[in-house]
Amino acid sequence: MLSPLVDAVRAAAAGGGDGKARALRIAGGGSKDFYGRPTAGEPLDVRGYAGIVAYEPTELVVTARCGTPLAELEATLAASGQMLAFEPPHFGGPPDLQPPHSGGPPGPQPPYSGATATVGGMVAAGLGGPRRQAAGALRDFVLGVTILDGRGEVLSFGGQVMKNVAGYDVSRLMAGSLGTLGIILEVSLKTLPCPVMEETLQFEMPEDKAIATLNRWAGQPLPVTASAWCAGELHVRLSGAPVAVSAARERMGGVRIDADAAQRFWLSIREQSAVFFGAEDALVRPLWRLSVPSTTPAAALDRIEGARLIEWGGALRWAASGTDAATIRDVAAKAGGHATLFRAEAGLRERIGVFQPLAPAALAIHRQLKAAFDPHGIFNPGRMYAEF
Amino acid sequence: MQTHLADWIKDTPEGIAAEAILRKCVHCGFCNATCPTYQLRGDELDGPRGRIYLIKQMLEGEPVSARTGLHLDRCLTCRACETTCPSGVQYGKLVDIGRAVAARKLERPWFDRLQRRVLAGVLPRPWLFAPLVTLGRWFRWLLPASLAAKVPADAPAAGARPPIRHARRMLVLAGCVQPALSPDINAAAARVLDRIGISLVEAEGAGCCGALRFHLDYQADGLQDMRRLIDAWWPLVEQGGIEAIVMTASGCGVTVKEYGHHLAGDPAYRDKAARISAMTRDLSEVLQAERVLLERALETTHETTHETASARLDSRATDKPDARSIAFHPPCTLQHGQQLRGVAEGILSAAGFKLVPVPDAHLCCGSAGTYSLLQPALSSQLQADKVAALQSGDASMILTANIGCQSHLAAAARLPVRHWVVALDERMAEMESFK
Amino acid sequence: MGDPGVNIERQAQVRARLAALLPAESILFEREDTRPYECDGLSAYRQQPMLVVLPANEDEVRAVLVACHDMRVPVVPRGAGTGLSGGALPMGDGVLLSLARMKKILSLDPAARMARVQPGVRNLAISEAAAPYGLYYAPDPSSQIACTIGGNVAENSGGVHCLKYGLTVHNVARVRGLTIAGEVVEFGSEALDAAGYDLLALMIGSEGMLAVVTEVSVRLVPKPETARCIMASFDDVERAGDAVAGIIAAGIIPAGLEMMDQAATRAVEAFAHAGYDLEAKALLLCEADGNPEEVAGEIARMSEVLQRQGATAIRVSRSEAERLLFWAGRKAAFPAVGRISPDYYCMDGTIPRKRLGEMLRFIAAMEAKYGLRCPNVFHAGDGNLHPLILFDANVPDELHRTEQFAAEVLEKCIALGGTITGEHGVGIEKINQMCVQFSASELALMRGVKAAFDPDGLLNPAKNIPTLHRCAEHGGMHVRAGRLAHPELPRF
Repeated sequence: MLSPLVDAVRAAAAGGGDGKARALRIAGGGSKDFYGRPTAGEPLDVRGYAGIVAYEPTELVVTARCGTPLAELEATLAASGQMLAFEPPHFGGPPDLQPPHSGGPPGPQPPYSGATATVGGMVAAGLGGPRRQAAGALRDFVLGVTILDGRGEVLSFGGQVMKNVAGYDVSRLMAGSLGTLGIILEVSLKTLPCPVMEETLQFEMPEDKAIATLNRWAGQPLPVTASAWCAGELHVRLSGAPVAVSAARERMGGVRIDADAAQRFWLSIREQSAVFFGAEDALVRPLWRLSVPSTTPAAALDRIEGARLIEWGGALRWAASGTDAATIRDVAAKAGGHATLFRAEAGLRERIGVFQPLAPAALAIHRQLKAAFDPHGIFNPGRMYAEF
Repeated sequence: MQTHLADWIKDTPEGIAAEAILRKCVHCGFCNATCPTYQLRGDELDGPRGRIYLIKQMLEGEPVSARTGLHLDRCLTCRACETTCPSGVQYGKLVDIGRAVAARKLERPWFDRLQRRVLAGVLPRPWLFAPLVTLGRWFRWLLPASLAAKVPADAPAAGARPPIRHARRMLVLAGCVQPALSPDINAAAARVLDRIGISLVEAEGAGCCGALRFHLDYQADGLQDMRRLIDAWWPLVEQGGIEAIVMTASGCGVTVKEYGHHLAGDPAYRDKAARISAMTRDLSEVLQAERVLLERALETTHETTHETASARLDSRATDKPDARSIAFHPPCTLQHGQQLRGVAEGILSAAGFKLVPVPDAHLCCGSAGTYSLLQPALSSQLQADKVAALQSGDASMILTANIGCQSHLAAAARLPVRHWVVALDERMAEMESFK
Repeated sequence: MGDPGVNIERQAQVRARLAALLPAESILFEREDTRPYECDGLSAYRQQPMLVVLPANEDEVRAVLVACHDMRVPVVPRGAGTGLSGGALPMGDGVLLSLARMKKILSLDPAARMARVQPGVRNLAISEAAAPYGLYYAPDPSSQIACTIGGNVAENSGGVHCLKYGLTVHNVARVRGLTIAGEVVEFGSEALDAAGYDLLALMIGSEGMLAVVTEVSVRLVPKPETARCIMASFDDVERAGDAVAGIIAAGIIPAGLEMMDQAATRAVEAFAHAGYDLEAKALLLCEADGNPEEVAGEIARMSEVLQRQGATAIRVSRSEAERLLFWAGRKAAFPAVGRISPDYYCMDGTIPRKRLGEMLRFIAAMEAKYGLRCPNVFHAGDGNLHPLILFDANVPDELHRTEQFAAEVLEKCIALGGTITGEHGVGIEKINQMCVQFSASELALMRGVKAAFDPDGLLNPAKNIPTLHRCAEHGGMHVRAGRLAHPELPRF
């Protein structure tokens, strides 16, 4: 039901007896509570507003409400041989790996039966998994949204069609906005057919060579859809028509790994259940996410101590590191990218902030946008930046 | 596009023609993308779409100043825009009308007038131009640098002309500046055609095709040149036995092909002009039509292959480009004006030449008749860009199809610049010596 | 000589200020010189600008913006002026800021597959520069020969291959822009994302209303090994529409999926000589690209679907030259219509693919109602329609009837669950229909977005987002997909 949410927001905006608006912490399954700065505020559970509103495989569009479990959405698409091509991570819940169905295409499967992630949280976090390097980010698949703004108004932007440039692209702005602009009530996403076939190749190579090789491959018409390098081992996934996959395999070499193992491997990267992500205690060594140009040499990150994992053809570098935040952010900025304090204890996240600080002109725009969507500042204050 | 032509022009023949052309333009702007001057200046007013607008507002009776004249002058009339235009706007015809109206409405500064008068007086008259070129060669050291660059080095030797011995005959235009600058072109054309059983004849008293004066604000004098040339040709055409009129300079070719259009309003010449235009062929069209005969003449295939391969080996050894590797510059009057693309190139590759790819081949070299003299800044920029493009591959020679482009490029190029038929003639002679 | 619509005193004031900042030849003010700038690719709407400025670099752009901001002069940015929605329509009291002179490719890094270019670089020029490395820039709007990347960013331009390769928003990594106050803002980055809100997505498609683009980093992608294109003929337009859904249903995402009706193919063939089947009521162009064997397989699968859906003839391109020829005709479709009509009005609605047949019947009914012809060109794979209403601006009343025709078609798009513009932008042309597609609160929020960047409303005002006043005048009721949105909620 929509009315309780609308009422709650309007009440919060109106404020209590003192006329001061009350902050709300928009809550779904809680699977990504670790992400962003801690935010105070009264929890507003949006899981009651759930369900797949429309899904037409031939239109390549699905529309779902925010409370819909992500697992349910993915299962629905998989039944029609389609997927969310950006492979959103669920996070949270115990790993519950399902074996790939035999014979058929290795389509994406709900990774955790106990997973709590919701569609609204997925959009608000804006994160993508391994396939992002080839398919695009979550925001690239957002076709339209319906939001509840800070005045308690229900507003729709975009739509259910592939191309739409009427007005500003507010829909994509919602992706990754961490609930600070409004409650994402409903979202329409572009879906894609699952690849006919996938194969994973494994290579032994040092970091620099892996970066160079990944970039060289990316400049050629090869069906590479995922890559991960860690501790001298490079995994690369190929997807597509069998002839294209086998032609690419012959060109690239490497060792082909078993389909089950490959499935488990990519899931462990997507869900961060791989040893790399778990070995370091986030309380001691925070997990940093460095988003940099894919050709950034390994040496550019020398000032950051600790282990590294590379994804997205070199464009994503994970570092479990105790190096101070200023250094890490400086390294990322010099490389032409930015650093995110992805996992760390709440105190640290609050103290040093999670996201790369914004330039003054950009910060001013952020604040004004926030005010336009949420004039009373009730939604997830401080979750993205302390300033709003 | 909406038009409201002014009363003074609306119902005149040029007004009617202009309106029909203007109405085809949908203002899409594709033309600017291939316009050499728009590419250099980035101003709507120096691209075809803007010039069409300037002409439109002039014909709609808006006040015009010398600036409209300037933007029309800056147009090279390369007509690349016509090739690009999906709507079929005949820009070349429109700009002729626009320039004629501008010439009536605007007084040019005295120096500009003088310059045009001198050019219009000298260039179309071979008896005046040839001795001036010779003088220029002697006294090059006295000339200002800009003009000195325009004076070509010694004209290449023409070589012997074959006797007129075949039953198949075609007329060829000697042209006005070509005999003085590059007498080898028509001689080579005559030899190549002679080998396939066609004799070339020149008409007594044939002069300039009229393009020079027509495009220098002397449209009436240009038309007079056209009539004079028709008169010189007409007895031979009437006699019969002339299959076609061959053009070795594409700049003249495009003009003669449009005689029918230019003289459509002259009852005395209308029909003759149409007949002359219909008979006119670029040299590449003639050879293309005789492709079977030409290839028979070139039939030394295995020697060619063998010889080319060894030439390549040699060139690798000496690190010099292949002698047969050439860069072709298609003149605008050929590729846009006459819409002949790839024909000469096809003949050259059949003759064993290797054509290196040339970027932006659709762009003008900046010669454009007298443009290089009247708009030196834009012209030399285009010249530099074109020469760089032609020399960016591993060609050993630049070939083209119009005397204007040839001398303009030769003034700046490191590689030799020649007419393609001269290279073809040499190639055929070389192969004969192998036989 | 001034324009009646231009205030000469004001013009002199602003000109004096700008003359200190730019070379004289970079400022146009005489009526004779500014009139050719009075419209972009949509020549039905014209307005002579107060001034035209042609800056050569970012510093000059900044100087102009600061001066205009200071003097409260509206600024309308313009690229190649090929837009079809009047997005670059000048203002009589404003400065038209042409970015056409900023056309340098600043860097091209083949290893990182990234080109950094100035806004005036032509779309096709990027692909040409990338070609030696086996790379290209994917979005290929039909005007790609002429349109600039800055304009593509402003409109979020698509193209004939965007079903598989995406729109401008999917292929631009970073935009550097200047706000009206002259402040530099970096949108996105050359990494795969950037910190904070996705301002890059907001900037792309914002019709030059949020910031002026001064630099763009575009992603380059490897050229597929091969591409082949099917040209399928249908004796019925709706059947061709069904075939499009059939291909998607078969799990194929073709590299291109385009449709033209008979009137359009006949107009185009005269220019392109593409060998189109002129007897067919509709033609579909379906392209496959990738590894040669993969392409052969996909061509076979698509041919089978097309045959099953009743194609009367199927031709597959035999060479790259022939494939390009198939597309050359399609890409020249709009202007080629200039051969059969003095003026045309191009619409750009997008609808769910399955409603194509219904839409075509509606357009046919409108042709009869308004007595105007309307050939159709579609990005069928995306459901993006380009009906072209043919009219003659010299005939009184034809433009007016055309506008009414177009308004009905656009409103039908909304009723079918679609949108009024898929890739050309709202500009000035579809601004009234914005009142139908969006509620007053939604428009108010969008005005809030604009104010976050440009509180004084100086950058390309009067485009894209209508004022409440304008909507009241238009009188259109905001209705989405045939019903009021959320009728259960109290309305303000």
